[in-house]
Amino acid sequence: MNPTCWNCHERVATPVCAGCGAIQPPPGRDVDAFGVLGLARRYHLAPAEVEERWRAMSRVVHPDRFAARPAVEKRMALLWTAAVNDARRVLRDPRARAWLLATGRAVPPETGGPVLDAAFLEDIFDLQAGIPDDPPAALAAATAWRDRLDAALGAQFAAWEAGAGGLDGVDAALSRLKYLDNAIAQAAAAAHSE
Amino acid sequence: MANIGIDLGTTHSLVAVVLGGKARCLLDDDERVLLPSAVRYSPEGVPRAVGWPALAAAGEPDGTTFTSFKRFMGRAPAEVAEEAGLFRYDLDTEDNRVVRFRVGEARVTPMELSSYVLRLLHARAEECLMGRPGGAVITVPAWFDDAQRAATRDAARLAGIEVLRLLNEPTAAALAYGLDKAQAGEKVVVYDLGGGTFDVSVLELNDGVFQVLATRGDTRLGGDDFDQALARVLLAQAGVEDADGPTFRRAVRAAEAAKKELSSQDVATMRLELAGRTVEASIDRATFEALIRPLVDRTMAAARAAVTDAGLRPDQVDEVVLVGGSTRVPAVRRAVEALFGRAPHVDLDPDQVVALGAAMQADILSGESTLAEEMLLVDVVPLSLGIEVMGGVVERLIPRTTSIPAHASETFTTHVDGQTAVDIHVVQGERELVRDNRSLGRFRLGGLPGLPAGVPRVRVDFMVDASGLLSVSATEELTGQSASIAVQPSYGLSDEEVDRMLEDAIDNAETDIDERLLIAARIEGEQILHHLRKALRDDAGLLTGDEGPRLGAIADALAAALTGTDRARIQRLGKQADEESAPFAQRRIERDLALAITGRSTSEVATALGLR
Repeated sequence: MNPTCWNCHERVATPVCAGCGAIQPPPGRDVDAFGVLGLARRYHLAPAEVEERWRAMSRVVHPDRFAARPAVEKRMALLWTAAVNDARRVLRDPRARAWLLATGRAVPPETGGPVLDAAFLEDIFDLQAGIPDDPPAALAAATAWRDRLDAALGAQFAAWEAGAGGLDGVDAALSRLKYLDNAIAQAAAAAHSE
Repeated sequence: MANIGIDLGTTHSLVAVVLGGKARCLLDDDERVLLPSAVRYSPEGVPRAVGWPALAAAGEPDGTTFTSFKRFMGRAPAEVAEEAGLFRYDLDTEDNRVVRFRVGEARVTPMELSSYVLRLLHARAEECLMGRPGGAVITVPAWFDDAQRAATRDAARLAGIEVLRLLNEPTAAALAYGLDKAQAGEKVVVYDLGGGTFDVSVLELNDGVFQVLATRGDTRLGGDDFDQALARVLLAQAGVEDADGPTFRRAVRAAEAAKKELSSQDVATMRLELAGRTVEASIDRATFEALIRPLVDRTMAAARAAVTDAGLRPDQVDEVVLVGGSTRVPAVRRAVEALFGRAPHVDLDPDQVVALGAAMQADILSGESTLAEEMLLVDVVPLSLGIEVMGGVVERLIPRTTSIPAHASETFTTHVDGQTAVDIHVVQGERELVRDNRSLGRFRLGGLPGLPAGVPRVRVDFMVDASGLLSVSATEELTGQSASIAVQPSYGLSDEEVDRMLEDAIDNAETDIDERLLIAARIEGEQILHHLRKALRDDAGLLTGDEGPRLGAIADALAAALTGTDRARIQRLGKQADEESAPFAQRRIERDLALAITGRSTSEVATALGLR
């Protein structure tokens, strides 16, 4: 964020200048979702915390607040609010949050992602092959497996948040979870249609 | 400069404004709140009347009255062919992109028709506020896609109105009831039964944030269907099997009056004048309710489906809001109450709710609102926005229910060496395949540097603003130059076409004033002519001497003048018709008086004549 207001050159620390009321330029592409909402970079983030920050920021930067201001400010308000809305979307989703912290992007990489071990892929293949025979059983197995991985991921992040560990291997764990999330969705759909 | 809120409805439109911290609807010269969304054209294709006179002339020959044109906004001719047939509109089939109706030599778009209604409402506001209003908030159905929203915005631009915001109708209704102050997570159902359309929406409110969870409806179901069901009963009792257009319309009018009476009375009488006789049919409320039960049941099925779509059960709904004149029917209210197990909000006039909410949002946007210091409306994208990728599959960029304003960007590249342009197809909808969604438009990114295939990186930014309107911009990332974008909307007019219409309108500003005066004179002349001809037809027996042929000749001369553009001539003949028919009119009044007096007390006569 600019140290001084583009409009009145007073020092500013918030999206809106306390001196002249001008909205400041929207965050650049180098500012991630945590930065946009002004939240500490943590995996353990309650949805209510995100909502509260999102509402507080929306009240400040929403275009409705700048309807009577010059066009350039209306445009900035539009971009600010879009960024705030997008940040909320990312931070509400624990998977997106984890990807963002581990890789700097809120989505799995399209290419060059972690390579998963053959044993895991084999187990996933067996799980998926078993869905048509007994969807509820497959669903239960997949859910239990996912919960174990989720717990491990949460523990690793907790250590990192306490300054007692790194995020090595988080991307691989998230890739495994992606397979399991998919398998669970398939099994749930199969169980539902039975 | 107060901002105004406009409810641009299918059958009626209204304008409202916040004055002294309170939203209220503005009245016309005859103290009416509603303006029929109706525009009358002459056979030559000249707009003649807007609103009530246009509606009154609907059944008459020599011209076309357009109503319900909101149904055609932003849609494709192929999609609406059947519907245009129902309304007996002459759809221009030469253009497969823009809906145009043929009237004489003219081609009229639904957008232009809407702009006439908007212009009249804006003029009403200007008169009431004694000054030009600021901008306007205009409401649209929650399910309106980008093309339909864009057409609405363009109609306002054409009317010379600055659009501050397009607002979803159910959101406006909830706002009017102050539900934005509701507890976090409250679920609200907005049940909107108008004249010709039915919508039901489920909203979730969180501290001023309005999210549409689900919306359902029936674009061909409304209070008009109640009237028609009742009219058929009346015609059956009259023994009329094949009612012609005018007779059917008279029966519908009688039915509508009876329907309104039945909201407060147990029995109503319908009266139908037929050639030489008067048929009366009395109807009680129970019969009426049995008659409309299938229609009400259809709305209840839709309401139940909307609640299910939202992942809820009816008993989990916290508030129910009724919108639309047809929700005055007690059977409708009872059905809604039974479904949700709670009494709906009915404190506000159901015709006005949406306009009042729009006025409140307009006030918030004035920047000087005392109404809602801390209030903030955040709506959502009603339908997902995406682009076509290989194999005719949709890649979703902005999913539905994303809060707006919303932004997404996507990088494209070239497939051929030296390629300098890329085509991007934008669609809206929830289906996987492009062909199952609605095509919004094609964008051509041009002016790319001629590089080997796959090297250019064109970043395309999609922005949905607070009105739910999409805009697209692009940058080539290697060179940093902005790529040019030519937009070809799939349906509706391109920005350039709308700009051209606007320029034409500005060029013609002076002729427009003359044109407006001419239209006003014509409207008055049409009314005089209408009453004179009706009197000559109904009460020929009261004519004396050469009065019949003489008045007939004046009527013909006035009718001829009305097809021309000579304003003075129309006014002169109108005045002459008024003056020369005065003795005849006097005799008709006396005759009515005599009929009224026969066998009644003086107080009854006074009541009958509206003196008390």
